[in-house]
Amino acid sequence: MTTGVQAGSTEDNDGVTSAQQRAHLPEGPTRWSKFKRDASFRNVSGLYIIAIMIVIFWIWEPNTFMTSLSWKLLLDNQAISAIVAVTVVVPLSAGIVDLAVGAEVGLGSILVAWFITDRSLSIPLSITLALVAGAVVGVIVTLLVVKARINSFIATLAMSSILLAVITWIGGGESILVSSLSFAKIATGELFGIVYPVYFAAIISLVIWYVLEHTSYGRRVYATGANPEAARLAGIRTSRVILGATVTCGVLTAFAGVLTASQLSTGDPTISSGFLLPAFAAAFLGSTQFKGGRFNVGGTLVAVALLAIGVEGLSLGGAPVWTPNMFNGVVLLLAVGFAQVQRSPRKRTAAISRVINSLGVRQKG
Amino acid sequence: MAVGNEGVPHFPLVGYSDVPDKGVPLLRVRDVSKSFPGTRALDSVSFDLYRGEVLAIVGQNGSGKSTMVKILAGVHQPDPGGQIEVVDPGGTGLLHGDRRDQLHFIHQDLGLIEMLSTTENLDLARPLGFRDLLPGSRRGEHARATALLARAGARINVRMPVALLSPAERTIVALARAMDGWTHPDGILVLDEPTASFHTNEANLLFDAVRQVAASGAGVLFISHRLDEIRAIADRVIVLRDGKIVLECPVHEADDATLVHAIVGGQLEAMDVSRDVTVGDVRLKVTDLAGMRLQGMSLEIRAGEVVGVSGVLGSGREELAPLVFGARPRTAGSVAVDGTDLGSGDVAAAIDAGMGLVPADRARQGAILLMNVRENLTLANLRSVQSRLGWLPRRRENAEASRWMSAVSLRPPHPERRLAQFSGGNQQKVVLAKWLRTEPRVLVLDEPTAGVDVGAKVAIYELIREAARRGTAVLVCSSDTKELAELCDRVVVLDRGHVVGELVGSDVTEESVLHLSLDPSLPKERVVS
Repeated sequence: MTTGVQAGSTEDNDGVTSAQQRAHLPEGPTRWSKFKRDASFRNVSGLYIIAIMIVIFWIWEPNTFMTSLSWKLLLDNQAISAIVAVTVVVPLSAGIVDLAVGAEVGLGSILVAWFITDRSLSIPLSITLALVAGAVVGVIVTLLVVKARINSFIATLAMSSILLAVITWIGGGESILVSSLSFAKIATGELFGIVYPVYFAAIISLVIWYVLEHTSYGRRVYATGANPEAARLAGIRTSRVILGATVTCGVLTAFAGVLTASQLSTGDPTISSGFLLPAFAAAFLGSTQFKGGRFNVGGTLVAVALLAIGVEGLSLGGAPVWTPNMFNGVVLLLAVGFAQVQRSPRKRTAAISRVINSLGVRQKG
Repeated sequence: MAVGNEGVPHFPLVGYSDVPDKGVPLLRVRDVSKSFPGTRALDSVSFDLYRGEVLAIVGQNGSGKSTMVKILAGVHQPDPGGQIEVVDPGGTGLLHGDRRDQLHFIHQDLGLIEMLSTTENLDLARPLGFRDLLPGSRRGEHARATALLARAGARINVRMPVALLSPAERTIVALARAMDGWTHPDGILVLDEPTASFHTNEANLLFDAVRQVAASGAGVLFISHRLDEIRAIADRVIVLRDGKIVLECPVHEADDATLVHAIVGGQLEAMDVSRDVTVGDVRLKVTDLAGMRLQGMSLEIRAGEVVGVSGVLGSGREELAPLVFGARPRTAGSVAVDGTDLGSGDVAAAIDAGMGLVPADRARQGAILLMNVRENLTLANLRSVQSRLGWLPRRRENAEASRWMSAVSLRPPHPERRLAQFSGGNQQKVVLAKWLRTEPRVLVLDEPTAGVDVGAKVAIYELIREAARRGTAVLVCSSDTKELAELCDRVVVLDRGHVVGELVGSDVTEESVLHLSLDPSLPKERVVS
């Protein structure tokens, strides 16, 4: 501030302006460089790739890809996957790899159908019970991880197998049809031409984003995931944090199961496997976006969109049936590998970094 | 010198004329220096190691001991000009020191695989050939392992998993593994503070083994903190201080006072830290505290007091801070803050009672390196920043972060930068600030300046004294006696799990603390106990 006042005394006319400029000096450039950093390819590569893909598919398949119908279908198809993907972010941020999410979706789906059709319970009660079952699964996972000290990877792998057994047991290995039309409305009803699950996905994403990024609970979740010992020594009751995360995960995945059952009007025992890998792929891919290595909701949604648009475009273009899986795998490897290369300074990636650096220098020159 | 030959390494010829009648040394170190940015860790160090000899190297933390070991092990390259030579396999001449196959190291981390048996661990050290794919003779291998251990004078059940052995026995297994495959008995063994993790009175087991190895013609370099151990095992002693050899003599020629004086150095200027403490009520009361090593310690710290705890590794000093804070469950005793008893292993209760811990292992326990400065600073007391429903208003948190960044003068002052990108000293400032933010009644510091540069050290000391002036009771556990002398009003010395002495006020000098810590059996003239 003193320098600002001196400047004002020497330059009579715009003394005030210059003082202001000086006061803002640390902020102005940082704001611009912050924007440059935020919008850089390495930070939001997913958005750039989506843009490139849209242009390519548009040119390739102008009649089908850029129609509102295909976009609507894309949204409809991806809403439940998106719910599962952003849900997985919660336990992952707390350091829990929950491999049972697929089975949890399956459990929610078969339970709600079983309650409605076989037990003849009311729809709200059936849904509530399915969600409670999801919460119970979350509690069990926490008990296994925190009390029995089983690695979450192993505990949830076993849990997944057990849940699949329960699913088969409940349905006798067969689908349970739900004839109620009002139940089917939950996932197929539309508002402004868009099905309800899209709104559910938006609300859930917003809430998880807010809690993780802007509340002290979210801070504790990230701290527990980043360094559980340091978090514990900072007074964070890490087992409670983990409990919160796994219960949230259990409830929301069960809800995704309810939506699936509603969408198909069936409690289908075979859907579990379809949810696990896409959700994790999106969460990992998402972690390379925005926050550079931290699991986050925004990045995960970008990843869901990226994978969905890529697969949709390829299938509209008549690509063979094996391309979606190939596409998912390759994109995940490329994105995570690329982020890894940029983050680790020396050693294995020294050669690649040097190439990148030399490219940068050449561009400047 | 050799102007036309730039780029060609210059190796001075070795003159054998100056070798005394002990024969050719096994290891010859000449003018070895090592500079790191800002410091000279080793300064023209020269010594010889002969057959059948145990040579002890002693010195404080930062005296250059570990740098010397790392240079011998090839982890660091010495500065140009120095040379290290190792005896050739025939035992007649000396070879350039890149031939490290004659040097065998036993580090504090022994590198044994705990799940495997002694025999299996010894087998792992051998080079693997196609023959190893054929079924081997179990019995033969066990017999071979037993014979190897017998060379070190030890009898150990070689079929048991190493995890079930005592620390001394494990060290002997590592010793046997290092000696496995010696074609000549005149190898060189380097033991780097081998007794640190030992239980009481176990060291003699290892010493017998080492003496046996030396008697068979090997040369042993023994790095240690403890004067009593050096007396028990070494023939010759070298004292390092500030990277230089300040004393070299046969062990029996130096009395303890001489050694301590050499270790600490002459320049023990009086500390200008203000000791006009206005001491308040008892804040921290520790009664009969016990853990793995600590066997019943009682301590009271009053508001405004800075109390240090000294002791070599293995004395119980290293587990005091986690036990007091509850980071580790205690086996007996009680800890109370302002009269409130704290449960064993209850970190949250300790923090609620107003305690804070700066742990020794910064990367694992103190800091969350993947999170940024702002998040680390506010972590221990999110409640003061948060608004309704747990909302963390970013503006309030930013203000808090910048306030504490300037309070501890963080360099560079970037709140959004990940902690991993800061120097050790600045990371430590953040960890300290995290607790100072909570306005702790009791602050427990474990090795508060480990891996911290000199400038940051002074800043950290000032922050600690400032906290004490505000009425915090401060407990400093440190292996750095200089630090304790500069910082503390009172120093308690631990040895083998017990309090062996206490120094108060002007008696707290580097020399007196070191004296008590290294050799508690010495007459304690200036000890108020």
